[in-house]
Amino acid sequence: MSEGAMKIFSESHKTVFVVDHCPYMAESCRQHVEFDMLTKNRTQGIIPLAAISKSLWTCVVESAMEYCRIMYDIYPFKKLVNFIVSDSCSRILNSWAHEDQNLQELMEALALIGPPNPRADPECCSILHGLVAAVETLCKITDYQHESRTLLLENAERVANRGRIICLTNAKSDSHVQMLEECVNETIHDQNKLAAGSDHLMQIQKCELVLIHTFPVGDDSLVSDRPRKELSPVLTSEVHSVRAGRHLATKLNHLVQLHFDLASTTITNIPMKPTLTVCDQEEQHANTSANYDVELLHHKEAHVEFAKSGEGHVSNSREPSLKETVTLKWCTPRTNSVELHYCIGAFRISPVDVNSRPSSCLTNFLLNGRSVLLEQPRKSGSKVISHMLSSHGGEIFLHTLSSSRSILEDPPSISEGCGGRVTDYRITDFGEFMKENRLMPVTESRYQMDGALDVPLGRAKDQLERYTRYWPMIISQTTIFNMQAVVPLANVIVKESLTEDDMLNCQKTIYNLVDMERKNDPLPISTAGTRGKGPKRDEQYRIMWNELETLVRAHIATSDKHQRVLECLLACRSKPPEEEERKKRGRKREDKEDKSEKASKEHDHEKKWQESERLKSIEREKEEPTEAEVIKDSPDSPEPPNKKPRISVEDVAPAEKSKGPMSLLALWTTRIHTANSRKHQEFYGRLNSVNNKAELYQHLKEENGSESVENGKASRQ
Amino acid sequence: MPTVVVMDVSLSMTRPVPVEGTEDFQRKHLAAHGLTMLFEHMATNYKLEFTALVVFSSLWELMVPFTRDYNTLQEALSNIDDYDKTCLESALQGVSSVVQQEWGASTPCQVVLVTDGCLGIGRGSLHHSLATLNQRGDSNRFPLPFPFPSKLYIMCMANLEELQSSDSLDCLERLIDLNNGEGQIFTIDGPLCLKNVQSMFGKLIDVAYTPFHAVLKCGNLSTDVQVFPRPEPVVTDEEIEPVPKVINTELEVVGFIDIADISSPPVLSRHLVLPIALNKEGDDVGTSLTDEVEDENSANQIAGKIPNFCVLLHGSLKVEGMVALVQLGPEWHGILYSQADSKKKSNLMMSLFEPGPEPLPWLGKTLQLGPISDAKENPFGDEDNKSPFPLQPKSKRSYAQNVTVWIKPSGLQTDVQKILRNARKLPEKTQTFYKELNRLRKAALAFGFLDLLKGVSEMLERECTLLPDNAHPDAAFQLSHAAAQLKLASTGSSAHSVYGLNIAPLQTDFSGR
Repeated sequence: MSEGAMKIFSESHKTVFVVDHCPYMAESCRQHVEFDMLTKNRTQGIIPLAAISKSLWTCVVESAMEYCRIMYDIYPFKKLVNFIVSDSCSRILNSWAHEDQNLQELMEALALIGPPNPRADPECCSILHGLVAAVETLCKITDYQHESRTLLLENAERVANRGRIICLTNAKSDSHVQMLEECVNETIHDQNKLAAGSDHLMQIQKCELVLIHTFPVGDDSLVSDRPRKELSPVLTSEVHSVRAGRHLATKLNHLVQLHFDLASTTITNIPMKPTLTVCDQEEQHANTSANYDVELLHHKEAHVEFAKSGEGHVSNSREPSLKETVTLKWCTPRTNSVELHYCIGAFRISPVDVNSRPSSCLTNFLLNGRSVLLEQPRKSGSKVISHMLSSHGGEIFLHTLSSSRSILEDPPSISEGCGGRVTDYRITDFGEFMKENRLMPVTESRYQMDGALDVPLGRAKDQLERYTRYWPMIISQTTIFNMQAVVPLANVIVKESLTEDDMLNCQKTIYNLVDMERKNDPLPISTAGTRGKGPKRDEQYRIMWNELETLVRAHIATSDKHQRVLECLLACRSKPPEEEERKKRGRKREDKEDKSEKASKEHDHEKKWQESERLKSIEREKEEPTEAEVIKDSPDSPEPPNKKPRISVEDVAPAEKSKGPMSLLALWTTRIHTANSRKHQEFYGRLNSVNNKAELYQHLKEENGSESVENGKASRQ
Repeated sequence: MPTVVVMDVSLSMTRPVPVEGTEDFQRKHLAAHGLTMLFEHMATNYKLEFTALVVFSSLWELMVPFTRDYNTLQEALSNIDDYDKTCLESALQGVSSVVQQEWGASTPCQVVLVTDGCLGIGRGSLHHSLATLNQRGDSNRFPLPFPFPSKLYIMCMANLEELQSSDSLDCLERLIDLNNGEGQIFTIDGPLCLKNVQSMFGKLIDVAYTPFHAVLKCGNLSTDVQVFPRPEPVVTDEEIEPVPKVINTELEVVGFIDIADISSPPVLSRHLVLPIALNKEGDDVGTSLTDEVEDENSANQIAGKIPNFCVLLHGSLKVEGMVALVQLGPEWHGILYSQADSKKKSNLMMSLFEPGPEPLPWLGKTLQLGPISDAKENPFGDEDNKSPFPLQPKSKRSYAQNVTVWIKPSGLQTDVQKILRNARKLPEKTQTFYKELNRLRKAALAFGFLDLLKGVSEMLERECTLLPDNAHPDAAFQLSHAAAQLKLASTGSSAHSVYGLNIAPLQTDFSGR
């Protein structure tokens, strides 16, 4: 993730450690370690065991391992290490493959190599073997390079091959160092020629050689430090002369920070109360509470906000240098997990002193799933929270929080915008919908019928499509979703495939609704906005059945079982005979007409329009059973015995054209038309139309001018 | 993205422009005309943009601090006096400090520099600044590139021919280069007149201030939205993929995630998602007649009463504490969520992740996120009390796996003491004793630190002799067994220094477990 402006295939993509395993490395570093620390309650008079000291080899290996530890912690991917030891020949301890990229593998391989044999013949041993192998290994393609090249196809040449060789050795003199550099330079030249003719090797475009000469503490260095120098367009080299022991470790710690753009943050004021001391330190007094500091490394971009503040200006000096650690204060109270912070970066961390007690207490605290906010110490005493430490699945991240003024402050509230005045959104229902459409990580891969990989996210999108085929947004727009009785069907019908049980449940739901209708149970039809009692009970049921049908119909293409649910619904739903319907309609109209003058008809009208639209769409699609017998009150009723071919209804057909029994739709349409026509001036075009066709852009024939403007206005009304 | 308008008020801006029918028409009037047009455009179509006005000659002054009140800006524009010579460097320095004081170093800003292409003379002139570029230290750094992400738009009150006749154009191009290529130079096409200034500012509006309209979709539910500020194209790795990625105008919700699971993710930028009413083609630019404003008001009222998916989504995200994962392009995602400001006004907000197949390690690969209906058992539990997130990484980090580091003597001493402490509590602590012993053994073998093994072996032998009379007999057996094994390992002989082989507790008559 956030790796700043770093290129994936920079020098840091491939690091080769070449470690000297010659007999001389078995020498002591001459820095002593007391290991027999007698604890105070022991009997007097025992002489502690003599202090021991690490060999040069041990110093080199543990410093290199520490370099790798920090690197793997912060870049578990895309930054690779190859470890080579060199004595009478070169031995490569691991490969670029991802499974080889961890500390355990390296430690195991190092144990197998063991310390150098001080009695071996120094004449046969040389670091050169390792350096040659290092160049060879840099030419080998990594999985990431391979993947990118495959992905980029004709642009494969954009994938660069750069690398860094860190050579830890004991050199004899400056000229010895020069000889090593020349050897690397020549080897690169040779290997690049070889790689040019190979498909599985890559030419090295840039190589950074970091030669570290190390020697026992107390000795004089025979090699001088030298800053980075260009030896060829491909190769740069730098020389560090470092005393062994702690000094070497410090050097490599600095180098890892420079090589991987790291910076340091010290968390200060960490309270270590008993709750925090989960460490297995038995001799710790549980009730002491002190404040501790812990230093962490991370990508330097986590400090981007500090770069600005005056003194700490970003320097453009060529010479790489390390900044001092930035101090951030542990902040109580802690944050809770349901808060979404505005976070502009998150960076993996690595504690500098990983198994010190304060470090492990902090990391364990975080690994247990807690987060902590960090505060910038300010002279003024104002509190600025700039960072947050948090673990996600066993990895700890330093989150950078935005602490500057937001450019989005004082936005218009959502209630002031489109749809902001509507108050009956189905918020709870949509909440349920969201929960059903939550995502989860899918580990196993599935394949489609045609063998193509079935992408889980694609299935998630498909599911969203199915779930939203019929989804009214507001309560007053729906009846069925306000009814508990419909829930079993509504939950199931959206599924990709139905089981027999699902289908049975749907049928039961339908029978149940039939039952409700027979018992004349009230329905939760919204009467909001309408004057009076609202629709009659049988009208309510008709609306409900229509809506349910719309829902089921939206899913019939999914499977046969979905289709069967519709068939069941059509068989069971109530359809009053037209005769009766017309009577009712007439009666209703009279009722309404009385009040219609006073009533603000707008909403009423809108509802009816919606209703008629819904009806229209339904009638267009289906055949209409007409027989009275079709209405069964028994759940076991069979399919309707006979269906009449649908009456073709022209949506805009004038009412007088329809002969014989008028359809419900026709009645509606006429009514709506007359009602509407009273409300507005007839369109100019329609008034002057011939056969319902009006000629457009008439004015173009005439002299254009003020007329056209008027036309524009008229058509806008 | 806040905007800073930097207006050149040096004397050269008062050079007359021959415009038919008007007397005394100057370049600064052209500039003011262009800016008026820009401000009018923003006031109608880009209302939420914060804009500041800085004027400069040899000195600079912040005339209007960042505001959304375009009348104030307009007013300030008409009250500008004429001053002395052009000094761009100090003006840019001023812009840099104005922006950082207000927005910090991570908020992207647009800088609109209005000048006539006369770049000053002597010290403080742009020539001088550019000539001395290499002689600077940290204290007098050139202000470009700005320390914050920025675009530098240079509006020249001059045409190309005029600029090319001196080296002004080269110098201005240098400025854009110094700003890492972020920005553009606009010049007047043809003769200097109001019409051509308008078309130049029209181009700037097209480049930088056209509102970003999109369709927000969730399955079959959808709505038109404006995304503010407009999302800028993104380059993730200039070497591998130098073509900037642009976000789709169809923002498709692909699923939902709990806030606790998404867990304050790092984002590239944040944007308001504002629902907009359909079919408002009429009000594009500049038409702000009063009756149309009234029209708009009533249109807004009607739009307010029509159910909108944004409002529904926002309400439910807020109530449930969830975010919607939204697809922005191929391998590019973001999240939608409800964001409340200090005044408790809340809004639908969109945050963009960095493009890529796996923007958040704790969610895993985005394409590998599937519907929970795929699982046999609801991964969130029937009572919504668990979660399949966060995803555990395949390998543990060093701080989670009890690594051994002996760089500081204290690290080694602690490890030895752990062994010693357990040794004194044998046989109760046999398991921990051997666990710690083996950890030390492994590290010593890897580091080739055989002297340590020998030392610890001797220490254990001594412990054996120091056992009190009432000690459990097993303690002595285990101590001498462990000491002997360590001694063997310390010889480095291949049989006894196998890394993977642990020292096992001695099976004694006492260890009847």
